[in-house]
Amino acid sequence: MTEPDQESIGYIVGGGLKDNLRVRLTLPPQKVQEGAFVVIESGDWQFYGLTTDLQLGSTDPRFADEQSEQRLPVELASLLHGQTLYTNLEILPALMRERGPDPASPDYQAWRDAHQDDPPLLPIKTIPSHHAPVRLAGAADVADIFGKPEKKENFPIGTTREQDHPVCLNLDKFVQRSSGIFGATGTGKSYLTRIILSGLIHYDKTSTLILDMHNEYGLDDTSTDTNQRVIGLKSRFHSKVRIVGLGREGSIRGQNSDFNLEISEDDIRTADIEMLISELNLRETTPASLEGLYQSFRDKWFHEFKAMQIGSEIEMERDGKRMKVPAPDSVAAWANQAGVNVTAAEGLRGKMNRVFDLPYIVEKPAANGLDEIIKCLEAGMHVILSFGSHESDLDYLLVSNLLTRRIRETWERKTNQFRSGKGNEPRPLVIVVEEAHKLLNREMAAQTAFASIAREMRKYYVTLLIIDQRPSQIYDEVMSQLGTRVSGWLGDEDDIRAVLAGLAGRDALRGMLARLQPKEEVLMLGWGVPMPILIRSRRYDDKFWEELLGKKSSVKSESQLKKELGF
Amino acid sequence: MSQIEIGRLLRASTTGCVVGCKVANHSVLSFGEMVVVPLDEKITIYGLIYEINIDDDGLVRQLATAENINPAVIEDNRVNRSVPLEVSALFLGHSQGVKILHSLPPRPPLSLDAIYPLTETQVIEFTRAGHFGYFRHILRDPDLPIAEILSAHIRNVASVQAKHHPEWIQDATREIITLLRDDYATLNSVLNALADIDQYK
Repeated sequence: MTEPDQESIGYIVGGGLKDNLRVRLTLPPQKVQEGAFVVIESGDWQFYGLTTDLQLGSTDPRFADEQSEQRLPVELASLLHGQTLYTNLEILPALMRERGPDPASPDYQAWRDAHQDDPPLLPIKTIPSHHAPVRLAGAADVADIFGKPEKKENFPIGTTREQDHPVCLNLDKFVQRSSGIFGATGTGKSYLTRIILSGLIHYDKTSTLILDMHNEYGLDDTSTDTNQRVIGLKSRFHSKVRIVGLGREGSIRGQNSDFNLEISEDDIRTADIEMLISELNLRETTPASLEGLYQSFRDKWFHEFKAMQIGSEIEMERDGKRMKVPAPDSVAAWANQAGVNVTAAEGLRGKMNRVFDLPYIVEKPAANGLDEIIKCLEAGMHVILSFGSHESDLDYLLVSNLLTRRIRETWERKTNQFRSGKGNEPRPLVIVVEEAHKLLNREMAAQTAFASIAREMRKYYVTLLIIDQRPSQIYDEVMSQLGTRVSGWLGDEDDIRAVLAGLAGRDALRGMLARLQPKEEVLMLGWGVPMPILIRSRRYDDKFWEELLGKKSSVKSESQLKKELGF
Repeated sequence: MSQIEIGRLLRASTTGCVVGCKVANHSVLSFGEMVVVPLDEKITIYGLIYEINIDDDGLVRQLATAENINPAVIEDNRVNRSVPLEVSALFLGHSQGVKILHSLPPRPPLSLDAIYPLTETQVIEFTRAGHFGYFRHILRDPDLPIAEILSAHIRNVASVQAKHHPEWIQDATREIITLLRDDYATLNSVLNALADIDQYK
């Protein structure tokens, strides 16, 4: 028996690869919504596409203009409307697959013999014939394209809007390239990120480093919208997740972290400060001054510069005259000695006070937090770096970049060792970056480690998951490298354009992004998914956790607890 | 075939014919009625009455202006009148043996061939054969009162089909709309005419 959603909803009446396909809808228009995933069967081929538009039409505009139901009997008017007024769907064709002759036909066996494996999905290269029937995709079609939820690598991220069929994200593919989660504020980015991160942690094929600027992901929280409890990743994944607090206290909303991150002054490089040009309002002379500092003090440049005074002078006698000269511990004394412009050096010293005052940058940290984080990640754990009370852009930019740079160096080294046969294969790592535009905007992208990770670190097992509400502020070159893009509602035209940059069919998808429901509806697209699809995202609630971890997820056996604790 | 002869052929072509009828048959003739003309043993032509003419002659002209005409004279003029009623029929198709075709007959019938009304069975068979292909013959001539012919035909046939195929009227209307949807004016007048049919009231 035919499933209800296998029934035809219309037939092809025109279109093409460039202009999309046009389908005459044989149902009332309200039965199909923008974004519906449809299947077209034509000859030996099956085509898959996305509804991008619905348009009312008439054989003659006068039939549409006139309310004939007021003049003609109801039944006659209904017959007239049925034949003269219609709805056309616009379908963005995305994929095609050879399905062979009808299984009942004598040719089928010969075709099957020649195609032992199911033919692969292909990008759309041709179009279905006129009058080919169109139907809404069934559960089997969705599973066929996006993967079966039973397989561990296929993580159900939501469901199709019309028929509620589960749509999976292939996590293997998702982490192979950098990805992005976008959406205007209040569209559920954080919940969606929690869902995807839960999937990644549960799948356990990759480590994740979450730069948690707003302390959202680690510990349980209360939703600002609903006042309901929001489960943190630590609460469900326990020892798989390490929460790192920034600074010596490092508490997050009064709760203790697993360990704290203090940064040694020696770990700060001049490039870390150059990256802060905009944040610290530095001048163009800064690189020269920093280079002078590095040449003078090498790794101790930060400590030495911090100790210098601005404007301190001493009196000394020279040629029989007493005169004031820069004190030995002054910036001017060092600048004169190093051949650096004094004014520029003093200006830099003054502006760097904000950095020198950061409490988590210390001469000798109690523990090497950076190494600890990297060890955790190498061991397959997931680290959430909570910025605690250090929520300024300066904190975020400095620490994120510094940490990421160290990770990049480590993973590059490990990969090179692996490739030369001297080490194990590095564990894939996903760095989750919130407010990504702050680190990946046009000015910053070239100076931070993030841009190079987005561009080339795939080869070194490190990718980014960037989360942002202003994708238009992110450097185009970085955006174009993103594999999977998951986007909630976006209102700004520039943001929509940025999310769709470099993708086929972006004109057709543009309106869809602007018309998503403000919550829970997302468009998933890009290299990481076989075709763009509009989904209703899963809810981040108890049901989600039950489905992911099982009903008894919160109750762990003694042996399991011991194992997690390393006994 | 009905044994009631309506009249005999005056003139014909492959698209239609004109039949001469006695005034006595006046009451059995109706606009939009279907008729058949047996062409030979195998072929029967199906037609549709689209016009009924009553011509005058010299005596009628005189009587029309005379005063105090005796009713017997009027009756005599009608019954024994030498000028027949002229009934024009449009050919809609033909049958060859049991096969009904909505295409024009291979040749016209001959003068004085008899013409008969269709039986209910013939109406049902002819109007359900094919997919309303015979509508094209009605729609072809722009000089015909298409709206009136179609509404009369549909009213007549629907009353017969109602017992056996009640959906026929919707199917026929749908087909007419499809055929005329690019001709807004004609379709509107046809729909207005169809609106008078009982089934649509």
